Amino acid sequence: MKQAKTLIRCILLDGFIFTFLALVALVVSIQPTEETMLKMGNNVMIFFGLWALGGVLVFILQKAKIKTLGNILFDPPQALTAQPDKHWTMSFWGIELIVAFIVAFITGLNVAHISIYELTDQDGLVGAMKVFGALFDPNWTILPKAILAVIETIFIAFMATVFAVPVAFVLSFLCAKNIMGSNPVSFGIYATLRTILNVTRSIEPLIWAIVFSVWVGIGPFAGMLALLLHSVASLAKNYSELVECVEEGPIEAIVATGASSLQVVWFAVVPQIILPYTAFTIYRWDINVRMATIIGLVGGGGIGTMIMQYQGQAMWEEVGCLVFVIAFVVWVMDTTSAYIREAIK
Amino acid sequence: MSKTILQVKDLEKTYENGVKALKGVSFDVKEGEFLVIIGLSGSGKSTLLRCINNLHEPTGGQILFKDRNITRLNKKDSRTLRSEIGMIFQHFNLIPRYSVLKNALTGALYRTPILSSLFGFFSQEDKDKALNYLDLVGIKEKAHVRADQLSGGQQQRVSIARALTQGPQILLADEPVASLDPATCHTVMDYLKKVNRELGLTIICNLHFLSLVRQYADRVIALKEGKLVYEGDPKNIDQSWFEEIYGESAKEVHVN
Repeated sequence: MKQAKTLIRCILLDGFIFTFLALVALVVSIQPTEETMLKMGNNVMIFFGLWALGGVLVFILQKAKIKTLGNILFDPPQALTAQPDKHWTMSFWGIELIVAFIVAFITGLNVAHISIYELTDQDGLVGAMKVFGALFDPNWTILPKAILAVIETIFIAFMATVFAVPVAFVLSFLCAKNIMGSNPVSFGIYATLRTILNVTRSIEPLIWAIVFSVWVGIGPFAGMLALLLHSVASLAKNYSELVECVEEGPIEAIVATGASSLQVVWFAVVPQIILPYTAFTIYRWDINVRMATIIGLVGGGGIGTMIMQYQGQAMWEEVGCLVFVIAFVVWVMDTTSAYIREAIK
Repeated sequence: MSKTILQVKDLEKTYENGVKALKGVSFDVKEGEFLVIIGLSGSGKSTLLRCINNLHEPTGGQILFKDRNITRLNKKDSRTLRSEIGMIFQHFNLIPRYSVLKNALTGALYRTPILSSLFGFFSQEDKDKALNYLDLVGIKEKAHVRADQLSGGQQQRVSIARALTQGPQILLADEPVASLDPATCHTVMDYLKKVNRELGLTIICNLHFLSLVRQYADRVIALKEGKLVYEGDPKNIDQSWFEEIYGESAKEVHVN
């Protein structure tokens, strides 16, 4: 049973590494045109075909008792016999690791178009210096406007956090395995909510901002809604993890007094989580201020929107002023929230 | 001849993972008695106590509390039962961030309306009761101190006050002194004895140390691997009984 599990994991991991190496070799030797690279159906078949071959290769290696990288990672520790006379770079898995890394590195150089030539290009350098210089020579006349805009940003973040907290608070209990895991119905609710929240969280607030700016119009409200959604999903996850590690003792004691379920949660669970909840909430507000800036870039209001307007007109001195204001606010929020979180630990 | 308050009949408990914690245990408890349960860790002592106040559901047998069967109760009846049976724990299980008084008041949760309790409102009567019991266990002057500021022995006394505030008819004590130092051990046991004598409260207590058993118990029962192996006067536990209960290589240790 355990061996079968390890074998499957090895086929997945080592098989994938072999597939990757084979694919790189294939691309280098055939030099396919862009058209062939875009033929999804064909390429998927080639990919899985190679993976199957890789799997067979892994299977053979396993039968031959050759330790692959998968064995090193997934075998139980006692199954690994030490080979003191053999340096790890001389073993099969060592060579596998080194080759895979070197091939991935060279592929990466090409795919990311990394080029020293572009980096040191004269025209490019001059342009970059101009923008950079302007950023360090801010136009302070727009400072009052920038301050008003950043206040808007801070309040967008604040409202998103305030509205998210009660929702996430309720959700956190419904998303905690120790509270919901006891019967099939509640476990169903738990699993469904977790999935929805995971999906919500994995969609960037930037995307939500675009959705909401179409829905309620461009401006701070759209930005607030985007942050709210993301905050609910993130806080519910943070909070529910705290609920999952509460101590059972006080819960048992309050249950033993004959208290109702709601009283048990309120008297035995809440006191244990209230401070870490507060810490996460402050941290979330801090994150939200930074995110609100980014969201402003796509029309979520606040200082981000202002940056977008000035950089569209290449007014770099003005952008410089805004960047300075943002940096200052983020620094203050960051320091304060870290200090408060430390204090309430 | 005092009345029987609790009858345990052929009690069985098999956990979902297949562990048989209790294999048919029967005994009676008299009103006002100080009954001690001894046995090795894993002998089923804790499970037995938790079956009595319905924290665990027995898988067989009966428990009669004042002649009423209390196994397989619905949720509401089970809460009512728990409110009539106080319990204290090895690790005290107080709410660390609450004051001593508020911890004691959690004993009144059952009879406090839910909404009032959520806002922290308890009746004056309950507050007086809680203070009175804190006084009884000698810790009234700490009523407004946070529970986590107290020593282990003091915390256990608060948890006795919490259980008493319930107004229970039986007090269960699960290894009440197992995580305390020897000196504090006696203080806590003395308070339990005081509660037993002065309030006439029936106490069922799990203990490890035989010396404590001889000093405090009216009667003792011993569990071994989920079965009752001894019942009687604590003074009659001699070396051979001791070896029978704890295994042949066991040696008795004393708490002073």
